[in-house]
Amino acid sequence: MKQLRRDRLKIYMDLLIIIRTESKKERIALTRIQQKSNVPFDRLKTYLTELKERGLIEDENAPKLTEKGGQSLAEYEQVLEFMKRMGLSFRR
Amino acid sequence: MDILVVIEGVSAVLAFVLVRFMLKPYRTFEDSRYLSLPLGFAFLGFSYIFMGISLLLNAPSSIEKAKWMHLFTGAYAFTFLAVTYYFSAKKSEKEARPVVQALISLSFLLLIFLVVVLFFPPILEIPDYKAADEYFRLFNMLMALYIVFHTLKSHMEKPEPSTIFAPLGYALLAFSQYSLLIWSVDSSFSAFLGAHILRISSLLIFLYLSCAPLISPRKTRQVEQQ
Repeated sequence: MKQLRRDRLKIYMDLLIIIRTESKKERIALTRIQQKSNVPFDRLKTYLTELKERGLIEDENAPKLTEKGGQSLAEYEQVLEFMKRMGLSFRR
Repeated sequence: MDILVVIEGVSAVLAFVLVRFMLKPYRTFEDSRYLSLPLGFAFLGFSYIFMGISLLLNAPSSIEKAKWMHLFTGAYAFTFLAVTYYFSAKKSEKEARPVVQALISLSFLLLIFLVVVLFFPPILEIPDYKAADEYFRLFNMLMALYIVFHTLKSHMEKPEPSTIFAPLGYALLAFSQYSLLIWSVDSSFSAFLGAHILRISSLLIFLYLSCAPLISPRKTRQVEQQ
């Protein structure tokens, strides 16, 4: 994840969080992800393709987190939690 | 004095272990605002090493040099830490980047200058360490208090049990500097020992803060939704 720009990283992580939440349901609808992420549909498709290329999700049409995706998300959340505990703001 | 040397060594090890954790925000976001956090803890580690060396040495001129290095690296540490908190709250990364880079360059230039002055005499006469000691302690204390104020403000905005430890840790560091200030005025051993105990407690708090999210990763899942 190190090669990503900060803004892109945030978008990816937001998408992974939504996918993780939605994957608890039987079928993951792209429209639902689009609504929750507030990203235009064409751009969402691009992001999902990039996430798949990076091995973070399986199948961009019915996305599910891969093991690598789950680990990346967990690491990201750990850093945010650490920053919160240290009293550091995360502003862009 | 032996126990104090051991405490300095343990403090330095703890500070360098903390650097590894403090690097994480910078490595994740590649945001220069967070670069000064690991630098701050690294300089803290170096300042403890120089203090330990000064306690081990016998020659007064060598002690003086080690103590000057201790004072400067300590002041750098607190400056870098305060800069982290200042920029994390108020400025965007774009505004912070040139300031942080300038500060890093300037501090390294100053450090090189100090090394030249201390170790390549007689270019300049080294002033008496004791004359500057109190001012450095006061400066460090003010920097630490600024961070306490900042972290306490963050805690008050969203009070959670886990967010009170950072202001507590920095408050202990500030008190530690206060104890060293007392020691530099009246040379009381209890103030010197107290400063070391406060500092170790503070570093242990930061170690706890750093390790806790790694130990309980599941709890962190709510963070992004807040």
